[in-house]
Amino acid sequence: MTEPQDPEKSTQRLPTVGPAPAGGVLEMDQSASGSSYEPAPTQEKPGGRAGRFWSGRRIPAALLALIVLGGAGLLLYDIAAVRADHPAMQWRRSVADDLASRHLDDVWVLAGSALAAALGLWLLLLALTPGLRALLPMSRRHAGVRAGLDRTAAALVLRDRAVEVAGVQSVRVRMSRRKATVRALSHFRELDDVRADLDTVLGTAIGELGLARPPGLSVHVRRPAKKG
Amino acid sequence: MIRTVNRVLLGLAGLLLVVVGGAVLATGLGLSVPSWWPFDGKDDVLLSRADRTRWRDEGWWWPTVIAVLAVLVVLALWWFLAQLRRGRLAEVLVDSGDGEGALLRGRALEGVIADEAGAMDGVSDAKATLTGRRTAPRARIRLLMEPHATPALALRGLSEGALTHARTSAGLDELPAEVRLNAVKHRAERVN
Repeated sequence: MTEPQDPEKSTQRLPTVGPAPAGGVLEMDQSASGSSYEPAPTQEKPGGRAGRFWSGRRIPAALLALIVLGGAGLLLYDIAAVRADHPAMQWRRSVADDLASRHLDDVWVLAGSALAAALGLWLLLLALTPGLRALLPMSRRHAGVRAGLDRTAAALVLRDRAVEVAGVQSVRVRMSRRKATVRALSHFRELDDVRADLDTVLGTAIGELGLARPPGLSVHVRRPAKKG
Repeated sequence: MIRTVNRVLLGLAGLLLVVVGGAVLATGLGLSVPSWWPFDGKDDVLLSRADRTRWRDEGWWWPTVIAVLAVLVVLALWWFLAQLRRGRLAEVLVDSGDGEGALLRGRALEGVIADEAGAMDGVSDAKATLTGRRTAPRARIRLLMEPHATPALALRGLSEGALTHARTSAGLDELPAEVRLNAVKHRAERVN
């Protein structure tokens, strides 16, 4: 165990069994206990490297396709109509007038170009990033099987394990892609003991998630707020 | 394949918007621009009347514009419809060993995998879809885990149970699978 320890608290960690030692009053003043661990080093699995899941980007592609389809279709229709000696639609005249009359420092031109550049950056981001951030890749222990665990499901599993620890009243788990932050309220037992139990239980639980890159663990235990 | 196409086209569209928007923005804000820049300065316009009507009198201009727009419309329509296709496999070719082979309905194999996976301990529901080609099918599986299930164990049960059984019973050399595990939402159960 590598959790940081305040020197004055180290006496409480002596393996004494039985009732609280003389420093009991001091212990009751303690209101929080925390620890954090770096993720365990990953091992290569026989099934191959477990990469991220890449989203198919179907929805942005469908939207962009519809926009291009609508714009090109409308312009095509109008140009063909003008070719067939019908008058051009009003919007095309006004757009052509605006394009030829508004200067580049016009506020509408600036706003439009800023919007276009921002939208372009967003599309580039969509094209280049994997997406599916909610899906944590699991290690490939079984040949031919690629699996991903939903992030909220992983958080639920950790929460279920944490509430089984004696002395834990309630638990909130925040699961990021690299780190699981567990905040527990403990209504009895010493906080350091509860936290040590939580560390053990959650360390095992993270192993049982079967993730390719086990997240780091950060555990905080507090007393619930006093009523009244 | 459609995944790559989506990425490439989204990237190209994004690049085009960034370049055009950035060029207009840089000129409009009065930054110093090189001589080959398409816009001359703050007083330039996006598309002048002279630029717009430059080739209007040429014989090739309107047919070219119409052809380009028509190709764009067809490609956009194909791209949109391609998003709606699911690529679900209708049947799997089973090598029966007598040189004739047999066709297994994809839905049947999907149902068997889903039923066996859903009957596992700790799994409340399972869905299976077959994609790929009929000689080399691929499986996509979604597992919904019950409270207190262990993800690594559920995955092992699926790999060694339903997937292995489906692979051997259909006589396939391999059945690559993509599995996604979710959990049933539930409240914390107090045990002490």
